[in-house]
Amino acid sequence: MKGLLTVELKFSEYHTIFPNIMLTILIFLAVLMLFLNVIRRIKERRLREFHFQFFVDNYDKLKFFGTLVLIIAYAFVLESIGFLLATILFMFLISLLFIGDIKKKSIFVSLTNSLSTSLIIWYLFGQLFDITLP
Amino acid sequence: MDMFEIISPLSVLLCFLGVFMGIIFGSIPGMTATMAIALFLPITYTLDLVDSIALLIGLYVGGISGGLVPAILLNIPGTPSSLTTTFDGYPMTQKGEGEKALKVGITASIIGGFFSLIILYFFAPVLASVAIKFSSVEKFLIIVFALTVIASISKGSLLGGIFSGFIGVYLSLIGMFADNNQMRLIPPGFEEELVYGFSLLPVLIGLFAIAQILQESETGMKASPHQNFDFKKDKKNRFTFKVFNGQLINTVRSSIIGTFIGMLPGVGGSAASISSYSQAKNFSKHPEKLGTGEPEGLIASESANNGLIGGALIPLLSLGIPGDSTTAVLVGAFLLQGIQVGPLFIPTNPDLWDGIIYALIMANIIMFFLMFFSIKYMAKIIYIPKYIIYPIIIVMCVVGSYAINNGVMFDVWTLLLFGLAGYVFMKIGIQVAPFLIGFILGGQLEKYFIDSLKGSGGDLTIFFTKGPIALGLWLLIAVSIIYAIVDNRRTKKSTAI
Repeated sequence: MKGLLTVELKFSEYHTIFPNIMLTILIFLAVLMLFLNVIRRIKERRLREFHFQFFVDNYDKLKFFGTLVLIIAYAFVLESIGFLLATILFMFLISLLFIGDIKKKSIFVSLTNSLSTSLIIWYLFGQLFDITLP
Repeated sequence: MDMFEIISPLSVLLCFLGVFMGIIFGSIPGMTATMAIALFLPITYTLDLVDSIALLIGLYVGGISGGLVPAILLNIPGTPSSLTTTFDGYPMTQKGEGEKALKVGITASIIGGFFSLIILYFFAPVLASVAIKFSSVEKFLIIVFALTVIASISKGSLLGGIFSGFIGVYLSLIGMFADNNQMRLIPPGFEEELVYGFSLLPVLIGLFAIAQILQESETGMKASPHQNFDFKKDKKNRFTFKVFNGQLINTVRSSIIGTFIGMLPGVGGSAASISSYSQAKNFSKHPEKLGTGEPEGLIASESANNGLIGGALIPLLSLGIPGDSTTAVLVGAFLLQGIQVGPLFIPTNPDLWDGIIYALIMANIIMFFLMFFSIKYMAKIIYIPKYIIYPIIIVMCVVGSYAINNGVMFDVWTLLLFGLAGYVFMKIGIQVAPFLIGFILGGQLEKYFIDSLKGSGGDLTIFFTKGPIALGLWLLIAVSIIYAIVDNRRTKKSTAI
């Protein structure tokens, strides 16, 4: 920095100028927010109170983590076992998870949904429009 | 020029097809107008120029309009520009006014579409002659002006919103900087995947669709109240054009905002509807009601996002600058036909220019009738239980992300990463919409900033001393920020009481 109003420009450094400015602004904003927050807390006399809760009360552990795991697993196997098989499996399992039981009707609904959607997408996009599918 | 000398029956048919397919693409979350146009691009090789334009314009109009269907019925914006449609559209659905909301949205859409068309017709040739003189300084300031929208859409904490916006900008810088081909900010081990940073589409649908599905799974995928509601029997809330009584100013203002924001290069759809929504809120007689299911907010959002189409075409046809990703694909379509877009486009291709205008008129009319009379059937989508529709949406998002760059698996990971990030953002108070706007504009902001400095040898005062246009832009920026601060104070006060 030559002065406050001049930025030193070097060809080899072009790529770092802007990110550094942004980072400076971000740090400044973060410090400012922290500062204001502390001031407010001092004013309201509750400096030591922290109640931050990430999940809502009684959150559905099975469905939440199930969804997360299934989506990630789906992405993992997508390229190795192919779009059609992976999607049919994934949709079947996640529909079952969302319905939440394994009665005959749920299995039937999940299976129909997964088969029909996967096949339609596969045919319409993969074959008809020639979109690259995994 | 006589309309029928340019428009053939085939082009009418293609336009119809385009609108129809566009609506389908637009209403599927994760599939956008951009994708629809990109997909149909290969077909246009074989068509004559005006016919292919009719098809592409149809896809564009249909794709942008179709986005209102899932936005209103499912609270998922089908396209980025229908983000604010969810604010009032979905609450209306929850109140059992889904069909009415859809028809309000469609009507606002066609008004916005025609409005922007008129502005396009008269303004593009004029702008072409003025804007040739814009340098990177003015372009940088235009982007900064677009970014001030963040301040006015921040919910609750103004500072938090701005912070979220800058995080978005920062993340958009990941990758290689085109001027000196140097990488920066890339986590070790991802050099290959992140050369061009994260792709926008997976980031976008991850933040909205996947994050929402995660949130719903946290609460156990219960049926939403609207799903138990039979809105067809509800005669009281039927749609009439009377909804638009007293909304004239709102509609016109939103259409104008949509058109002008659409003109700003790189800003694109979401910013248009977002800022027109925030203006509608500022000018509303009862701002506290917006966001709870008021047609007013819906009109603002939808007339702006269709106004955007004409707007985005202005810099494209007058300067050769694509206003958003969709028009960027359109540039490709022109190039395929051997036509260079730029300041000389209109004078040298008068027939094509008329063809574009006629295609826009047709597409808007077709869109209106197609959607207005089939909406009853489209609206059935909300009766589909979540356990059926969400798996389909996830798969569509994955397919869309994978296909956007012709089969890049990393884009699917981007989708999931930002899905999770969006979920975490909601929990820790980072605001998604400002984040996204920063992310969309970040790259351009940097490019024009560095370009300006190159011209001035690193002197930052160049942004003030460049000339009257730059000063005018600074004025706009200042007004916009001050307005946002005042507005933020006002809403804080009103919520405190």
